[in-house]
Amino acid sequence: MRLPDSVTGSFLVVLGVAAAYGGWILPPVPGQPVGPNVFPLVIGTGLALCGLAIVFGIGHSFEEEEELIPLEDGQAAAAPPPPGKLYGLRALLPPALLLFYVFAADRLGFIITAAIMVYITTTALGAKWKLALPLAALSPFAIHLIFGKLLRVPLPAGLLPTPW
Amino acid sequence: MLKTLIDAFALISTWEVIIAMCAASVYGLVIGSLPGLSATMATALLVPVTFYLSPIAAIATIVAASSMAIFSGDIPGALLRIPGTPASAAYADEAYAMTRKGQAELALGAGVWFSAVGGIAGVLSLMILAPPLAEIALSFSTFEYFWLALLGLMCATLVARSSPVKAIAGMFIGLLVSCIGIENPGGVPRFTFGITDLFGGIEPIPALVGVFAVAQVMRAMLTPEPPPLPRRKFGSIMAGQWKLTRKYHWQMTRGNIVGIIIGVLPGAGADMAAWVSYAMSKRFSKEPEKFGTGHVEGLVEAGASNNASIASGWVPSLLFGIPGDTIAAIAIGVLYMKGLNPGPTLFTEKASSMYAIYLMFIIANILMIPLGIAMIRVAAYILLAPRSTVMPIIMLCCAVGSFAIGNNMFGVVTVAAFGIIGYVMEANGYPVAAMVLGIVMGTMVEQAFVTSLIKSDGSILPFFERPVAAILAAMAIGALLWPVMVWIWRKVKPVQTAAATSR
Repeated sequence: MRLPDSVTGSFLVVLGVAAAYGGWILPPVPGQPVGPNVFPLVIGTGLALCGLAIVFGIGHSFEEEEELIPLEDGQAAAAPPPPGKLYGLRALLPPALLLFYVFAADRLGFIITAAIMVYITTTALGAKWKLALPLAALSPFAIHLIFGKLLRVPLPAGLLPTPW
Repeated sequence: MLKTLIDAFALISTWEVIIAMCAASVYGLVIGSLPGLSATMATALLVPVTFYLSPIAAIATIVAASSMAIFSGDIPGALLRIPGTPASAAYADEAYAMTRKGQAELALGAGVWFSAVGGIAGVLSLMILAPPLAEIALSFSTFEYFWLALLGLMCATLVARSSPVKAIAGMFIGLLVSCIGIENPGGVPRFTFGITDLFGGIEPIPALVGVFAVAQVMRAMLTPEPPPLPRRKFGSIMAGQWKLTRKYHWQMTRGNIVGIIIGVLPGAGADMAAWVSYAMSKRFSKEPEKFGTGHVEGLVEAGASNNASIASGWVPSLLFGIPGDTIAAIAIGVLYMKGLNPGPTLFTEKASSMYAIYLMFIIANILMIPLGIAMIRVAAYILLAPRSTVMPIIMLCCAVGSFAIGNNMFGVVTVAAFGIIGYVMEANGYPVAAMVLGIVMGTMVEQAFVTSLIKSDGSILPFFERPVAAILAAMAIGALLWPVMVWIWRKVKPVQTAAATSR
């Protein structure tokens, strides 16, 4: 997900200008020169200026190159990540699962949704089903016990009401 | 004084506080020792639990978990060369070199002992610095608060180990996030896009959980699993520590002082303290050639430093609501929730609560010694847990915890969104700590700014009229112009030297 500075900088310029404009069109407080519009205006302008500076590479010389720790004799080199364009998209799995939780938890209930989330995350991190399945079966109950029972968070029951 | 102290003792000597503290200590030790799970993340995931505790017990969990996690990050650093938390990264190489020389006990013992000493030095600084500063702060008007907040925000960008322009951009993004909602000077919906859930604004806590926990799980998806810890027998861990203390007492004191100063600076936390102290130790050492080959001196200084910064990070947090580091940013959220709103009056009206916080810090740091030794001995077993079992649990905690903050699914959406934002920012060199500071401080900055503008009635002069305001203003503007000056200096200098040589 390492994007060129020109891309992130341009994005910040657009975001800054949008924020400044959004602040500009807010209704002022009657009889008062400053209201809710000032702060977004200042921030938006600042953000747009920062974006411009980043596009033109100002301040880039301050950035430290990431230190790569060289591997030593004791530490075998880890398997190189399988190449492929879609590999980077794996990073989007956790937020996708959280959104899945938002949409599914009320219908399926906490236990089922949580079990699906745990199973997918565990296998995505390279575990075999022998580990993933028991973990997915047990951990939702443990979390439910702590949050639902002890801390009284109203977790949705859904299809499978918990026995306690 | 004595009465407040007795009251404070009464506050903390309840079963709830004692159990909460012990449980949070163990939790902090475990999370801190697992590579990839930072002390900030440990604290952020604790917040939903603190809702259901009394105010003092809630703060106790944060104090205990954060102190323990910073120490226990040293364990995998020394044994695997993989720091458990970023705060241990500065000296992980050194500690690992000691382990390879067969001095694992000495390295880990120094970790426990000097962490505890550093932590206690940090509390002392909190006890000494906070009350007089509170006296001064009582006379602050919005102008001072405005400059102070600006100075705090600028500090965070100056100390970032990244491009200052990107750090300032990150801070602006955070401030922009804080603009969302109807809690603004006009009370009008701002940047809500008609979404009812956005009317209340973005809560800092789910945003922090997203940035520090979800983004970490996202990174784990793409990085290889760390190797398992080789099992080994440990000798006496505390043997030789007293000798080290006597030999390196000056280094230890210097580490404590540097840690305290960095902790007080907004946005700079334990990791920065450790880097600076380690570098300082090497610079002023009588035997700098030994550094990197398994020399304990740097470990002493940096270990004393990172734990000292934890407690002193609470100084600006308690006084002004300006977080000294990311952990303190979370603590501020909890303080507000528990009715202990940060501000100078906290020290006069809720003095016993303040003493209770000091006492809890001291107890946590004393507790660190036996618990830390136990943790070192069982670390080999805990580090056996593969990442594929830890990360799913963290995901569940993120989902349930962010839901619990408002019993509202929108919290979960916030966590997911900030996971992506944090991940993308980190990958592109934008420091997330600066954004976090912006989110936490945004409302306060805007309030101070707009109120000051209204009071000054269009004139710029009142911003500089009061003496303290003028000093703070000069510092803030200096901090703002500093990167520009360095940039110009770098541009001009080669030209000058070129001109000088050609002459």
